[in-house]
Amino acid sequence: MPIVKLLPLGLVCGILMAALRRSDDEDLARRLQTRNAKAMLDLYRRYSRPAYSLILHIVRDASLAEDLTQETFLRVWNQVQFFDARKGALGAWVLAVARNRAIHHVHSVEGRMQADASGFDSLDNPRYFSAIGADALSIDRARHLKSAFEQLTPQQRQVIEMAYYEGLSQTEMADRLKQPLGTVKTWMRGALQTLRRELAGVATA
Amino acid sequence: VTCQERKELFELYALGVLEAGEREEIGVHLAGGCETCGVALANALALNSGVLSLAGQEPPPKRLKRRMMHAIGVHYPGWGWVWALGGVVALAVAVWLGVQERQRTTELAEARRVLLEVSGERDRLTAALQFLSDPQTVPASFGRGQTAPPRGHVFLHPQMGVLLIASHLPAAGAGKTYEMWVIPKGGTPRPAGLFQSEDMRALHILNGPLDLATVAAVAVTIEPEAGSATPTMPMIIAAPTGT
Repeated sequence: MPIVKLLPLGLVCGILMAALRRSDDEDLARRLQTRNAKAMLDLYRRYSRPAYSLILHIVRDASLAEDLTQETFLRVWNQVQFFDARKGALGAWVLAVARNRAIHHVHSVEGRMQADASGFDSLDNPRYFSAIGADALSIDRARHLKSAFEQLTPQQRQVIEMAYYEGLSQTEMADRLKQPLGTVKTWMRGALQTLRRELAGVATA
Repeated sequence: VTCQERKELFELYALGVLEAGEREEIGVHLAGGCETCGVALANALALNSGVLSLAGQEPPPKRLKRRMMHAIGVHYPGWGWVWALGGVVALAVAVWLGVQERQRTTELAEARRVLLEVSGERDRLTAALQFLSDPQTVPASFGRGQTAPPRGHVFLHPQMGVLLIASHLPAAGAGKTYEMWVIPKGGTPRPAGLFQSEDMRALHILNGPLDLATVAAVAVTIEPEAGSATPTMPMIIAAPTGT
């Protein structure tokens, strides 16, 4: 019996889609590395919506989000030489850059930038994104993550949002929520475990 | 700290929200090349990007694409030339419409002027016809038997006034006009209106009641455009009423 018949249809589709995305992103990254302007346009078409939405969600200002989105894509353009086109997940990297640009901006405006201001720059170093599955942004994973979010308690959801969209440390969260640090850490650990568990069953490339 | 314990922290490490001590410890450990933690960090980054992608799919403003491409040195002709061409065409159409409108306005004004002229002429002819058809009208001729023109008729009416019909009028000349006079018996001539000729012919009416018994004659002289208080000699028409 062919192996395809033994696997659930959804899993087969997921593997095929991931393979296609990997191939697409790999080709796109290679073209970007040759300073191909058309590749930049393709990158923008593929990832501008999630990047802009993410930045807008963080800064809550459309004009500022526009500037930061442009900054994000220019950073990718300038750093793509260090990206591993064969193994890396381009979309995951773009989103990390977008998120860090936005958080960096919010923190500088609020005057609570850490002494190491380049910290956020090192977090979206392209070499970190070399070993991630190309399906990191697949529809299937997004669906599972949404389902996982619904399982979180309001407190768990709140600390996740504070970490991802506000860039707060757990100590800062404890201060803001007026809760003991241990409680915040428990909420965070529980939330991340739920998200990891939900994603564990999703096919990876 | 074990790798298992670190595994719980990689998402926060990748987000840059760990406390300084934990962050440095993990950084040093990863720099040491721990394969297990490398895989855990990759999984954490994948989870993070998944969570970040849930923020939405809001489209950025269209101009951003152009701005971004411009920033890397790519200049698109875009659709600017279409707008420019549209602007030129719209301007040309506006100018053409303006010219048409102006021409139409001029034509309309000319038509109004002609209509007024025709209407005035008709009124004068109607008045002249009333003069001629009324039994109270008293005629008086001039120029009869004269070797030189002008010739014509004067009609007097006790209510309607004086009607002058003349032909072969001499040219008044530049800056001059014809002026009619009513000359009473034993009195000074009274101005009875200015008029112009057309093809040496003229029809002029003095409206208003007139005591025919006191009128000795009706005369016409050539005067400056504004008219005169007394007639300038010679009289080119002198029509005695005979009343």
